[in-house]
Amino acid sequence: MSFNFNGVEIDDTFAEGFTMWGSRIIVTALNRKWANIAAQNMTGFATSVIACDCEAGIEREVPSESTPDHRPGTAIMVFGFSKGKLSGSMLNRIGQCVLTCPTSAIFNGLPQNESDEMLDIGKSLRFFGDGYQVKMRMNDGLGERVRFWRIPVMQGEFLTEELYGAKKAVAGGNFLIMGEEEKSTLEAAERAVEAIHTVPMIITPFPGGLCRSGSKVGSKYAFLKASTNTPFCPTIKHTFKGSNAPEKVNSIIEIVLNGLDESSVRRAMGFGIKAAVEAGGVKKITAVNFGGKLGKFKIGLRESLEAT
Amino acid sequence: MKILKLKYFGETLIPIEAENITPDLITGKQLSEIERLTLYTGNREHKLSEFFDISGDVSNEVGSQMILVEGETSLVKYIGSSMSSGKIIIEGNTGMHLGSKMTGGEIQVKGSVDDWAGAEMSGGYIRVNGNAGNRLGSGYRGSSEGMTGGVIVVDGNVGQECGALLRRGMIVIRGAVAPFAGVHMNGGQIFAFGKVSKRLGASAKGNGGFIACLGGVEQMLPTYKYDSTYKPNFMRVYLQQLSENFGVKEAEKFMDTSFERYSGDLACGGNNEIFIASAE
Repeated sequence: MSFNFNGVEIDDTFAEGFTMWGSRIIVTALNRKWANIAAQNMTGFATSVIACDCEAGIEREVPSESTPDHRPGTAIMVFGFSKGKLSGSMLNRIGQCVLTCPTSAIFNGLPQNESDEMLDIGKSLRFFGDGYQVKMRMNDGLGERVRFWRIPVMQGEFLTEELYGAKKAVAGGNFLIMGEEEKSTLEAAERAVEAIHTVPMIITPFPGGLCRSGSKVGSKYAFLKASTNTPFCPTIKHTFKGSNAPEKVNSIIEIVLNGLDESSVRRAMGFGIKAAVEAGGVKKITAVNFGGKLGKFKIGLRESLEAT
Repeated sequence: MKILKLKYFGETLIPIEAENITPDLITGKQLSEIERLTLYTGNREHKLSEFFDISGDVSNEVGSQMILVEGETSLVKYIGSSMSSGKIIIEGNTGMHLGSKMTGGEIQVKGSVDDWAGAEMSGGYIRVNGNAGNRLGSGYRGSSEGMTGGVIVVDGNVGQECGALLRRGMIVIRGAVAPFAGVHMNGGQIFAFGKVSKRLGASAKGNGGFIACLGGVEQMLPTYKYDSTYKPNFMRVYLQQLSENFGVKEAEKFMDTSFERYSGDLACGGNNEIFIASAE
């Protein structure tokens, strides 16, 4: 079953989202360049939990006037399969990629009243100060109490908030853009990612937000737990029995998105699909699911478009 | 917010102890009951109505009760003592122990305030538009801790031993600071935008406490050790809060300022910090 949206065939199917724990942090630095360097490093090698310790991405750039220290900031979201795994990944990544980055500081980006749990990452990170770390308190007895740690480092001082908000979130939102040739399909996918990022609290963890090598579970090789998504590889569409690549489609790009709640993921998917369609050159859009066996969130492409 | 107006007409030269002037003890009462609230001069009991004209409205919720105090109340002590919520506005000067041991709510003094304002307070906000006396936000004699939470902002100058035994919370002084600021402090923050007199931070222990001197220091104690001159990022977070939340707009000027960091008081093995803004 499919329907037509602005001349493009859309499969009447759904993306199968599943629960992960998500967190949001804001990295600031002396200038935009260093804030982005810290964020890019922290979100490196975090495309998919198939082989990475977590999924992470840059949510948005935060202007100076909206960050706690009024320096340029970059919001990052990190997703893990459990609170413990998320906390461990964040601690390692902040410790190795942000703490080490010149002029950086880090703040909680998910307030306590919007979180299910507060992860004591800063509290663990403080030990790097080897006894010279300094506790910083704000709003004692007036407003919402906040704790920070100031850690002496070779360049000066690193500032981290003590607790970081985390909540049960939604991962695995996705759709596949199928185009006639590589260039126009890529352009449509780029437009889609731009549109997706207009929705707050969403990340697209793959390179540039795009995955050109979507995978399926398992392989003919026993040692490999995931392999190329053969039904959607256009170059073997007449070789592979059961190919889902349409006749005129020669390039397919997948967009995977994670968010803090289902409705944001749905809206973001809708905006992404719309933008891809409007870009032109797209023949068909579909989504990947496992018949409801993987996750509890069924995010329909039709409902996504209706949510925009 | 319901406003109860108290207009002072007393002429006594003996200080009046007015612990009952707090939203907590007024909320839910009839005006006739409020008139009978007890005040003391020395060991003599008086009714509130013997010193104040009382008018206005009373709320049933302490958080929505405001008390407006008019007249020269510089001999009226303990206004807002132990208050937990609501608001008090004092149009002129007021006496000692204002807001002492308060746990919440807000007090605004449009004039000046005498000694011991905000002593041992644990929450809430005191704003003094004029000057403050000695032992602002400090601990009482014999106490191990002074202020343990809340914020005091003084737009003018403050007297001696401001923030003595400070444990948590923040004191902001926009004017000059007399000697012994932060004596025995063990946490909390003191921001001074005017010149700070000598012996600041004497016998301070640390525990994350610091004194930020943005208008210079008369003399540092020899038991504080200079470490480094740098631009502490955490200071930007505080300065931003001072500007945005407390209207201390001059704080913004120091966002990119270098600070000299001193730690001490070594005389008691402390690691309290004193940050002195570098003259640009």
